[in-house]
Amino acid sequence: MKPSRMDKLDFVSAIVLLVFGIGVLVESLRMPRLEGLDINPYTVPGLVPGILGVAIAACGLAMLIRALIRGAWRLGLTGEAATGWLASAAVRRAVVTLLLTLVYAGVLFPLVPFVIATPIFVFAFTLTAEWMALGHRPPPRSLVIALVIAVVAGIAIGYVFQNLFFVRLPGG
Amino acid sequence: MDGLISFLSALGGIVTSFAIVDVMWATLLGIIVGMMPGLTATLGVALMTTLTFNMEADRAILILICMYIGAIYGGSRSAILLNIPGTPANAATSLDGFPLARAGKAGSAMAIATTGSVVGSMIGMIALAVVAPMLAEFALSFGAYEFFWLAVFGVLVAGQLTALDDPIKGWIAGFLGLFVAMIGQEGIHAIPRFSYGSTDLAGGIGLLPAMVGAFGFAEILSVMRHEAYHVVRSKMDSVLSGIRDAAKYKVTAVRSGLIGTFMGLVPGVGEDMGSWASYAAARQSSKRKDEFGKGSVEGLLAAETGNNAAVPGALIPVLTLAVPGSAPAAVLLAAMVIHGIRPGPLIMIEFPDFVFSVVAMVFAATIAMGVLGLLLTRPLLLVLQVSRERLMPIIFVLCTVGAFAIASRMFDVWIMIVFGVLGFILRELKYPMAPLILGIVLGDILDKSLRRGLVLSDGDLTPFFTRWISLVLWLSALLFIVLTMPSVRRGIMRLMRRRRGAGEEP
Repeated sequence: MKPSRMDKLDFVSAIVLLVFGIGVLVESLRMPRLEGLDINPYTVPGLVPGILGVAIAACGLAMLIRALIRGAWRLGLTGEAATGWLASAAVRRAVVTLLLTLVYAGVLFPLVPFVIATPIFVFAFTLTAEWMALGHRPPPRSLVIALVIAVVAGIAIGYVFQNLFFVRLPGG
Repeated sequence: MDGLISFLSALGGIVTSFAIVDVMWATLLGIIVGMMPGLTATLGVALMTTLTFNMEADRAILILICMYIGAIYGGSRSAILLNIPGTPANAATSLDGFPLARAGKAGSAMAIATTGSVVGSMIGMIALAVVAPMLAEFALSFGAYEFFWLAVFGVLVAGQLTALDDPIKGWIAGFLGLFVAMIGQEGIHAIPRFSYGSTDLAGGIGLLPAMVGAFGFAEILSVMRHEAYHVVRSKMDSVLSGIRDAAKYKVTAVRSGLIGTFMGLVPGVGEDMGSWASYAAARQSSKRKDEFGKGSVEGLLAAETGNNAAVPGALIPVLTLAVPGSAPAAVLLAAMVIHGIRPGPLIMIEFPDFVFSVVAMVFAATIAMGVLGLLLTRPLLLVLQVSRERLMPIIFVLCTVGAFAIASRMFDVWIMIVFGVLGFILRELKYPMAPLILGIVLGDILDKSLRRGLVLSDGDLTPFFTRWISLVLWLSALLFIVLTMPSVRRGIMRLMRRRRGAGEEP
């Protein structure tokens, strides 16, 4: 039987889960046992995390065995397939979205005043996403609408949180 | 009788005050959120929780319940008109709703969905009023052993039901959620776990930023990854004929309402399964099975009755056991705690009127949903014209500010991002999100109950298995899991077929 794409993905995620489960178990065993405090030994902090580590590792192992039986260890990774996947429109859209959102949450939001940071992000996101969807530069009318939405969103959301809910935003 | 008086006085309070305005706008906003593919009920309730922080408890909970009910209903619009369920709970709706719309019966389809949603919500509401006080009283006899099994039962059953084809992935999601709950100071000796010297991590992972990430940011990534959708233009017939069509299937409506309520009641399972299970039961008992999937009025009615009935159903365990029946209900549970209400077995003693005010809130939201849904059929179509390219960045800004606003710290924004990316990856790998969230909520209960139970029994495991409520809980969990395993299910079907075959032979 030829393994499906999901079988191959399961093979990889099973290994990650197995390693993660073992890691959780090891960390739980290293947790303080509080022997010096004369506590009841059944209340040690590592008890439940340890059981969870075993459970996650056991599920990972079960999935790994299932993937091996289905022959999913033959991942069939070739340079060509990898480049094809990376160049696909879906992956490109997801990666660009991730990068834009990370720049906003990690740089613009904490460092730049909200009413400036937010319109920049909203406009940049809309412009990039429309460009990718159309395959060429969006028409000027679209750009104007995007700009208006970006400015209004920045001012409105900023006003609601800062003036109505009294939240002090990090960028000011 | 006391309950009825509390209900009527709470309802009177809503109808005769400014609260009625809250009901209208919050339900309408819920419908709009539900209609937009990519915005789920969970995200709507989570973002709204961050916006209602400063309000009084009753007002905030009223707005959240209206948002929840509106969103689950609103999702039916995009399911019917676009063949894209607005929320995951409306997936079964699109099976028959979209073929009806393509046949020029979009108006009828929306009216059938509205009728089903109102009936379902009302059946769920009656169950909430009747079952919640009884369950709360029963739960007073729960001890550490029972709460331990309840947490185990919840995570395993939710894992199983939300990943029927591959239950192991549902369980893994549940275990990962329980693990997330282990991060931070534990509840008995205050020892920080998995914190590595970080004071932020020692405080634990907040449920709200995690949910905003897993249901908001993850959804943004997912929506942007896929191709854009296009609105299907079709003729629209009269709304009234739809109500007449729906009225022919009273038995289906009541049965779907009951099934939906039960699915809501089961921890972590919620509206999605409420809808699927009602749909399956309707097809099973229908005289016109062949119409299902091709525009069956009965199928559409069952799906929409089932998911809305699950909403009040999911509130029953929230109020009486502090265990959420669905993902949006988990946010509601967190919101209640934030506003100083302590859901759990003591609710009828500590906050005797609260359960019935929730019933009144559900009633008001249901009426608003029906009225707005029918009156604004055409104007609401405009919502579907909003392009995802323009909507998604604004949603992300709300996710970021919302996560930050909870405790005014950047740590929560990072939690939102991490859970968003992890949620996106897990979802692409077909791991369900609901058990993960249930795990985060139940982790603390499971941890404390197991250790307290062991202290009480001095390390003896027998009481976990022999006390009668514990016995019923673990036996039913085990039986349920074994019976719904794909391999066991196939085996039973084969056996039944063989027996039927043998019976038919002369």
